[in-house]
Amino acid sequence: MAGVGNRVLAGTDRALDLLRELPRLSLSNIRSNPKAFKRNKRGRGQHGGKKHGAGNKGSGQRQNFMRLGYETGNNPFYLRVPKEPYYKGHHIRREYPPISLMQLQTLIDTGRLDTSKPIDLTALCNTKLFQLSPFENQYGFQLTDEGLDNFKGRINIEVQYAPEQVIAAIEKNGGVITTAFYDAPSLIAMRDPMKFFASGTPIPKRQMPPENAVEYYTDPKNRGYLADPDLVALERFKLAQKYGYELPDLKKDPELLPMMLERKDPRQIFFGLNPGWLVNLKDKKIFEPEDEQLLEYYRS
Amino acid sequence: MAVSFSNFCCLRRLLISSTSCSRAYLSGFKSNLSLDKLYPTSRLDITTIPKAPESKDGKFSGYIPMDKIQVNYVRSGGPGGQNVNCVSTKTEVRFHLASADWIPEPIRVKLAERVKNQISKEGYFIVKSERTRSQQLNLADTLDKLRNLIHSVAQSLVVPEVSEETLERQRRLRERAARERLKEKRAHSMTKQGRQSPTLDS
Repeated sequence: MAGVGNRVLAGTDRALDLLRELPRLSLSNIRSNPKAFKRNKRGRGQHGGKKHGAGNKGSGQRQNFMRLGYETGNNPFYLRVPKEPYYKGHHIRREYPPISLMQLQTLIDTGRLDTSKPIDLTALCNTKLFQLSPFENQYGFQLTDEGLDNFKGRINIEVQYAPEQVIAAIEKNGGVITTAFYDAPSLIAMRDPMKFFASGTPIPKRQMPPENAVEYYTDPKNRGYLADPDLVALERFKLAQKYGYELPDLKKDPELLPMMLERKDPRQIFFGLNPGWLVNLKDKKIFEPEDEQLLEYYRS
Repeated sequence: MAVSFSNFCCLRRLLISSTSCSRAYLSGFKSNLSLDKLYPTSRLDITTIPKAPESKDGKFSGYIPMDKIQVNYVRSGGPGGQNVNCVSTKTEVRFHLASADWIPEPIRVKLAERVKNQISKEGYFIVKSERTRSQQLNLADTLDKLRNLIHSVAQSLVVPEVSEETLERQRRLRERAARERLKEKRAHSMTKQGRQSPTLDS
């Protein structure tokens, strides 16, 4: 122990004093022992070393190469297969996996689909019988006319495409059909809502259809979600005349009417949930944005 | 597992009463692209059933009342194995032609004459179709046939109003055609006579 007066200090005390004065130890004030690692002495040559990766003699070392793809005279790979105009833009084409009316009727009969609520893409994906892959250019489901004659269900259904006779079959039974567009991020949210909510992302707003689809979704003949409902009513009547059935009056069933008329806003993805809301399943809470700018964005 | 949002107590779900008016949609959320902003003058009601167009003044409106005609489904003919033997896809539409007041009288009379081979002894006009494999599509085809038939009969009854100038022009053209024909005939006759050997008289 050091004496208070004379400061005759032992080795440890001197070391401790030094520690108090020296700067903190960091990577910038230490160095490894000499000869701990070998320094690369051969640093010359910008692309590394003697031959610069060009090998010995020949066209290679002399940098006299043939054009890329050339196969010294025989038909090169990139020219062997001809270009076909029929597949132009195939990677951009939208796909709609089919669901037949027969399958739909079976689902209703076996109770896999709840007809007391509107049926949309989420309801169809929740049956776990249909897969949708937005990453493979699939933009939703289409209804096919297989089982047209035997379809008896009364439903409010929203699909992405339906031919005329299918629309007739659904409306004949007192149902309502709408065709709607969903963009890829919306589809990813819709096909597995639980997974989407678990990701902690706010519900996105649905985008408008691309240019070549706007005409389809604004046409009342196709029951587009952007079409004028009054014109849709007229088309319902015309289709009933075309396919030979008495158009059922939806107002006759006042208990079912709200469900039948239920529709999403063009920017909405889930029934009852607005874009911008954040759903916390674990704590069973929904967080809404309060900032005016955010609200304006989600409403626009 | 299906998501049921109605279980969430914190969800605010606005249900607009639909007894007074049938709105096209009932969700609480409305963006700037909602239908009432896209179509401000529209009533936004898909449930309205428009009044059927009447066939008056001897003109057929195109409307066929489904309660006034009978639709039968029978089995079709031709090959097809089990499907054609068991499934009734042939569609028959029949109605009593003389008492069909949804077709104007003059058209009805002319139609009866035109399709007299397709009218039964009791006076029922029968239209059939087994064009497709589906009952519904065949029914649509049958009605299409019927409607086109009535329209064509109506069209044939319409006498077009021709102006005096047109009638005059048609008369002149007919007379000119006759004159040309006779001229050619005479010329041909001279040719044939010229081939004959001459006689002492001429």
